[in-house]
Amino acid sequence: MPEKSFWTIGIQQMNESTSDNNSVLLVHAYLDGELDAANALGIAQRMSAEPALAAEGERVKALKSLIHERLPRELAPPGLHTRIEALVGGVRRPRPQPSWRALAASIVLTAMVASSSTWIIVGSPPENTVADSLVSDHIRALMAPQPTDVASSDRHTVKPWFNGRIPESPRVVDLAKVDFPLVGGRLDVIGQTPVPTLVYRHDKHLISLTEMPAESHIELARIPRTVKGYNLVHWTENGVSYWAISDLALAQLEQFAQLFRTNPAEL
Amino acid sequence: MAASGFRDPISGLDDNARFASLVMPHIDDAYRLAHWLTGNRADAEDVVQDASLRAFRAIRGFAGGSARAWVLSIVRNTAYSWLRKNRPAAVVTVEDLEAVELAHAKPGDPDAETPEAALIAKTDADHLRWAIAALPPPFRETLVLRDIEGLDYREIAEATEVPIGTVMSRLARARRRLIATIEGEVS
Repeated sequence: MPEKSFWTIGIQQMNESTSDNNSVLLVHAYLDGELDAANALGIAQRMSAEPALAAEGERVKALKSLIHERLPRELAPPGLHTRIEALVGGVRRPRPQPSWRALAASIVLTAMVASSSTWIIVGSPPENTVADSLVSDHIRALMAPQPTDVASSDRHTVKPWFNGRIPESPRVVDLAKVDFPLVGGRLDVIGQTPVPTLVYRHDKHLISLTEMPAESHIELARIPRTVKGYNLVHWTENGVSYWAISDLALAQLEQFAQLFRTNPAEL
Repeated sequence: MAASGFRDPISGLDDNARFASLVMPHIDDAYRLAHWLTGNRADAEDVVQDASLRAFRAIRGFAGGSARAWVLSIVRNTAYSWLRKNRPAAVVTVEDLEAVELAHAKPGDPDAETPEAALIAKTDADHLRWAIAALPPPFRETLVLRDIEGLDYREIAEATEVPIGTVMSRLARARRRLIATIEGEVS
């Protein structure tokens, strides 16, 4: 190694000071198991060559084991668990969990380990779950011999059909004059709740329009605009959440949503 | 009935069942973190109860990953809003702190290695607890989340809403401060 002339030493030290700063962080990250193999090897080599880094490592190790061994793991005071259960249990439903859920959960847990694509499904936020579920229902309806449970272009037939099947029958709008004739209606199921879906047609494209009570926690920004290649338009009005799904172009689907919102409903 | 073959089994549960499986197993961790952040048992209980309600309302927003990290990040945010409301003087702004710390931190100083690891190992639990409690909040929370709760850097970055680089430098600074305090105590 060539001897340093006196004027380079200052610069050298400055550089060392900045690079040491990063080295110190790497020593910590190394001892925390956060480095990949290449970085871990690099810093381990430097620690064995540089006493200052080695000393840092020793101190951090000593501190970590001190915290781990000497610091008692404090537990929540007795009664806190129960109080919290009571707190959130105000809306608890007394219905016991059917055993198939536990079974399904364990199957999916296994699948999660085995398959990353399953993880994506399990990890989807609930907005997507609703969207995914509705799109699946839409696709299934397209594949079925009939996309509807009640086939009628007459809103006076479709709306009463829902009465008695679900607590509130949906808002039905006649859009035949603006080229979105009603095809019929069906019941879809989200989670375990039956929800009314109206089916409209535009040219040869079907539109599934599902209505459900609006849930305040849904973040609109997170609702996808397309799911599995289907366009999705969502809006909320008077406490009701509307989901329109179709392979129609997004602009046309938005036009449909606009027409549905602005035309008078069947009473 | 239009049953889907691959519906998410967790979101298929009702909110109470989700809460029971995602949040309830982590109440001890939640309480521990709240205690470290508020410095007081009664406050910690209040914070955990508040945080539990928040978690319950947001339960459908849990997007997978570590439920414990998710719960702890809610506890952390609840603790800070609780502190801001009830003890505004206790909240140190991060900006002030980073400025001070940058001036103080002298990494790479060879003199820093004088006190030995052996000295650290002699520290008793009370001194250690006191020294952690004396850390400024951003350092304390980073250290607690890593060295007590065992979250990884990425989870800490998400919980404390800072980049991973900041987590790393806060952690290193927290540990250095802690070591310095402990060594000062012992010697």
